[in-house]
Amino acid sequence: MKKPSIILLAVFILSGVLAAAVGCELNDPDRDVKRLFPESTGYRTLYASIHERGGAELLARIERRLGDSFKGLFETADVPYTLYRIVKGAETVGYIHGVNQKGRYGGIQVFLALDPAGTIRAFYFQRLTNQNAKALRAPEFGQQFVGLNLPDFANYEVPTGRIRPGSRLAAIKNPAAAAEDDFRASLRAVKKNLILCDEFLLGNRFMGKEGT
Amino acid sequence: MKKISVYQIAYKNLLRKRTRSLLTIVGIGLSAWVLASLLGFNRGYESALKKDIDNMGFQVLVTAKGCPYEAATLMLKGGTGLRYMSEGVVEDILKHPEVEKVTPMLMQAVFDPERGDSGAISAYLGVDPATFPQMKAFLKFKQGGWFSDSEARQAVLGYEAAELEQREVGDMLLIPDKNIELTVVGILARSGTQDDGTIFVPIRMLQKEFGETGKLTAVGIKVDRRGDIAALENKLYDLPDVQVVSLAQVKNTIMSLVATAKVMVLSIAVIAILIAMVGVVNTILMSVFERVQEIGIMKSMGAMPGDIFRMIWTETVILCLLGGTLGVLLAFGLAKVTDLFVRRLLPYTPTGSLVIVGLGLGLTTLAIVIVIGLVSGVYPAWRAARMRPLESIRSEGE
Repeated sequence: MKKPSIILLAVFILSGVLAAAVGCELNDPDRDVKRLFPESTGYRTLYASIHERGGAELLARIERRLGDSFKGLFETADVPYTLYRIVKGAETVGYIHGVNQKGRYGGIQVFLALDPAGTIRAFYFQRLTNQNAKALRAPEFGQQFVGLNLPDFANYEVPTGRIRPGSRLAAIKNPAAAAEDDFRASLRAVKKNLILCDEFLLGNRFMGKEGT
Repeated sequence: MKKISVYQIAYKNLLRKRTRSLLTIVGIGLSAWVLASLLGFNRGYESALKKDIDNMGFQVLVTAKGCPYEAATLMLKGGTGLRYMSEGVVEDILKHPEVEKVTPMLMQAVFDPERGDSGAISAYLGVDPATFPQMKAFLKFKQGGWFSDSEARQAVLGYEAAELEQREVGDMLLIPDKNIELTVVGILARSGTQDDGTIFVPIRMLQKEFGETGKLTAVGIKVDRRGDIAALENKLYDLPDVQVVSLAQVKNTIMSLVATAKVMVLSIAVIAILIAMVGVVNTILMSVFERVQEIGIMKSMGAMPGDIFRMIWTETVILCLLGGTLGVLLAFGLAKVTDLFVRRLLPYTPTGSLVIVGLGLGLTTLAIVIVIGLVSGVYPAWRAARMRPLESIRSEGE
């Protein structure tokens, strides 16, 4: 038994505990696509980065649309985004896209399923570390985003977290007061996600309607 | 009248069937590329592995006896069932004159149900801020520095761990399950070692918060330059309930595993070379048979068997020289691609360059290919040299 143990140890100590992952991909695309789009017959995976699609000019436009700057170390123009176009036969029935967002205790991964018009049909956290993660992951919380699209976020100021009263976004409730940081982080992640989908998938159909 | 040499005739002969010559050169080139890359891998892998092990900062690791190593236990038992040593073992180890430095470590892991779909293990390595940084002097910080003291609720993240967790200095980190908040005080620059993926925390804090006061999972030992590692290992085995792992032993184990892969790749290279040899023999032999009458005329004009032999042999050497050069250039140019390919094939690869192709290696490959070419050319050259002039001229071609 000595040799296998040494091999295990060798592989472990020389390869590290964690693997780096800057992009954001579905954990199990086949399963996740079927769960989010039961009617689908397949999906296509597309890859894009701000650097490839337009560089500094595109980054500046996305930041302007978001109303906030990308955070230098982990939110850069060369981050690869993985976008899933969901098909039913030859017809596109929607999209799935996830983004990384800095949360209070670590990276948060926020995934959206959109219909072809860019309206949210599902929201969920693929990754979230917080004492109140259970409340944030509850289906009731994600359900509040269903039916929203990018123009609804015109009423949300990312840097201050201010939401115009009476807007559809104002109806979204934080399920745990102690998780305010991650609640705001998730709103920012959704807005960023919708802007990236608009840029990479929807031909900027909501350009100028997302507020700044 | 201008005199034409055997070498010029050989060169012109190859140009007469350009496509065939080119394909033969490509075949030899590909074989030479495989050969050079394999030889480069032999050298590169060992050197990269040695560098990785040297970068660990210690040459000997002492762990608790039983299920042996905290690393293996973490993987196999999902973070439970760790075996511990008493802290007193550090003093016992320090008594040996071969020991230059020691650093105690405590590995702990928790199950994080919020990670991934069905949860995952988060591991924390408790290290002593007084001894660990000295032993890992090569570690540089991208941001911040080491902990302020060994009981602080602080963390230092390896480069990839920080990237994965999206943490910067001043951010918070939560140890799930235990509900312990840590402040990130340092982020290491990329080192290309296992430290890139590690979350370091102060050892005393970890012992206290996990209820493992006075316990360790490992002790790293740096041996004095004049010390005999093997002798020290034998002495350490006298300590009660410890397992001694020499990193030289780890290196040898990995190298023996990789040797199997090397044999397989070497076999492929040998087959590729044999195919290339057959290709060369075929090309030259066809060329000889197509020129039977021409060779007959040359002989009737006074060419000796040795001249014909040399001419055909020269054709082979030119093909091999050009093919070999192409292969060596491919090996140089595609070393990084080969590196990526090898990384996909092997279960574990060190962090440095796996394929090192230098000038010496290029020349060695070229020499091997030329020798193979010379051997391959003997039979066609011999067949051409022993042709009878009149029979050859009369023949319609074989």
